[in-house]
Amino acid sequence: MMKNVYSVGQVNTYIKNMFAQDFMLQRISVKGEVSNCKYHTSGHIYFTLKDAAGTINAIMFAGNRRGLKFQMKEGDKVVVTGSVEVYERDGKYQLYAREIELDGAGNLYLKFEALKKELEEMGMFAQEYKQPIPKYAKTVGVVTAPTGAAVQDIRNIAARRNPYVQLILYPAQVQGDGAVQSIINGIRALDDYGVDVIIVGRGGGSIEDLWAFNEEEVARAIFECETPVISAVGHETDTTIADFVADLRAPTPSAAAELAVFDYYAVKEQLQTTENRLRVLVSQKIIKARMKLEHLKTRLSYVSPAGKLRENRKYAADIEEKLQERMEKILMSKRHLLALLSGQLEGLSPAKKLSQGYSYVSDASGRAVTAADRISVEDTLNIHLAKGSLKAKVTEVNIE
Amino acid sequence: MSKEKTPTLEETFIQLEEIIAKLEQPEVTLDDSFALYQKGMEKLKSCNTMLDEVEKKMQILTADGTLEDFE
Repeated sequence: MMKNVYSVGQVNTYIKNMFAQDFMLQRISVKGEVSNCKYHTSGHIYFTLKDAAGTINAIMFAGNRRGLKFQMKEGDKVVVTGSVEVYERDGKYQLYAREIELDGAGNLYLKFEALKKELEEMGMFAQEYKQPIPKYAKTVGVVTAPTGAAVQDIRNIAARRNPYVQLILYPAQVQGDGAVQSIINGIRALDDYGVDVIIVGRGGGSIEDLWAFNEEEVARAIFECETPVISAVGHETDTTIADFVADLRAPTPSAAAELAVFDYYAVKEQLQTTENRLRVLVSQKIIKARMKLEHLKTRLSYVSPAGKLRENRKYAADIEEKLQERMEKILMSKRHLLALLSGQLEGLSPAKKLSQGYSYVSDASGRAVTAADRISVEDTLNIHLAKGSLKAKVTEVNIE
Repeated sequence: MSKEKTPTLEETFIQLEEIIAKLEQPEVTLDDSFALYQKGMEKLKSCNTMLDEVEKKMQILTADGTLEDFE
C-alpha cells in the first residue's frame, strides 16, 4: 500500500493556506489577559493572551503600533483585534494584533455591541414604538451643545426653510463627564416643556466623543420621551444606540433640521395653488350658471306676456303709421279739390259782378233791396260799388 | 382624538383636497359649491393662521424652565 509522504514545510504551508482561507480568522477579536509581554527593540510587541481555558501567542508588529493607545502591561484584560495565522517556521499559529483595546469599561466597541443587542432584544428599537415625526412642527426642541457646528447648522437650515418655526435649545454637554445626565435632562426638559419634535445630537467626533449617545440611560430617555425624537449624531457613517432608539435617525444635524422643519415657502405655495383652484372652480360654476341663466332668459322672453305685449305694441305702432299716411293722403287730395272748387266759386261771386258796373243795394238796416214796394220816397239806401259805396235818397218809387 | 381638537395643518390639507374633489364634480349644485367654496376659504384661512408669520429667534430653555434668547 502506497502512502503519500509530505515534507514538514508542505504540511505547514498547507495549514497556513487553510487558515488564510478562513474568513473569520482574517478579522477576529479575541479577549484575554496579557502575559509575557515583551516590547522588542525592533518595535514589535510579543505577548501571550490567556484565559482560564488556554493561551495563544500574539504579536503586534511595529507597523501596527497605532492600534495600541495605552501602555500594555502584564495582567491587562484586553481585546485584541487582528488575524490568526500560521508561523510556518515553528509550526505554530499565533495572533497578529492590529488593534489592542482594554476590555471591560475600556472596550467601547464590545460595549456598544452588547448594549445594542440587549436593547434590541428588549424591543426598544422596534418599529411599533416609533412615533411619526410631525410634518408641520411649530416648535422644535434641540438638545446639543450651545457652541459648535451642530447648533449653527440646525439654526441655518431652519432659518432657510422656515423662519417662523420656534427653535428651543437645551444647551447640553455632549461629551465628557456629565454628558449623559446633561443630555437626559435636556430631553426631559423639552418633553415637559412641550415641543412638537426634539432633535438630539451633536457634530462629528471620535467614538469616545460620541459615546454619551451610546449610553443606555440616554437610550432610555429617548425611548421614554413622549415627544418624537430625531437623532443626529456625528456624520453619516457614525451610528449610535441613540440612532436605533430614536423615532427617526438623521445622518447629520443639518439633515435633522431638514426633517424637523417643514419648508414654509413650499407650503405657502401649495396653499396659494389650492386657493386658486378653489376660485377657478367656483368661478367656473358661476360662469356656467350665468350662461345657463342667459340662455333661459332669452328663451323665456320669447314666450313671456311682456314679449307678446311688445310685439302687439309694435304691430299697433305700424298700423298707426300706415293710418296716418293714408289719412294725410286723403286730406291732401281734399285740399286740392277745395282749391279747385274755390277757384270755380270765385267766378260766381257777386263782387265780380260789381266790377262789371253792377252794384248792390241795401236799406238802412243793411238788408238787400230786391223789390221797390218796401221802399218809400225819402228812404236812404246804400249803394255798394266795386270800389266804395254811395248813400242815396229815394226820390220816386215805381211799383209794377 | 376628540372632536373638539383643531385639525392639524396636514388634516386641513386633506380636507381641502376633499373639498376641491367635490367641487370638481359636475353635478354639484351651485348652492353646494358656494358652501364648499366658503368652507374651503375658511380652511385656507386657518392654514395661513397656523403658519403664523412671526419670525422666531432661537431660544434657550434654562434649567429652571424659563426661556431666554440664544446668543
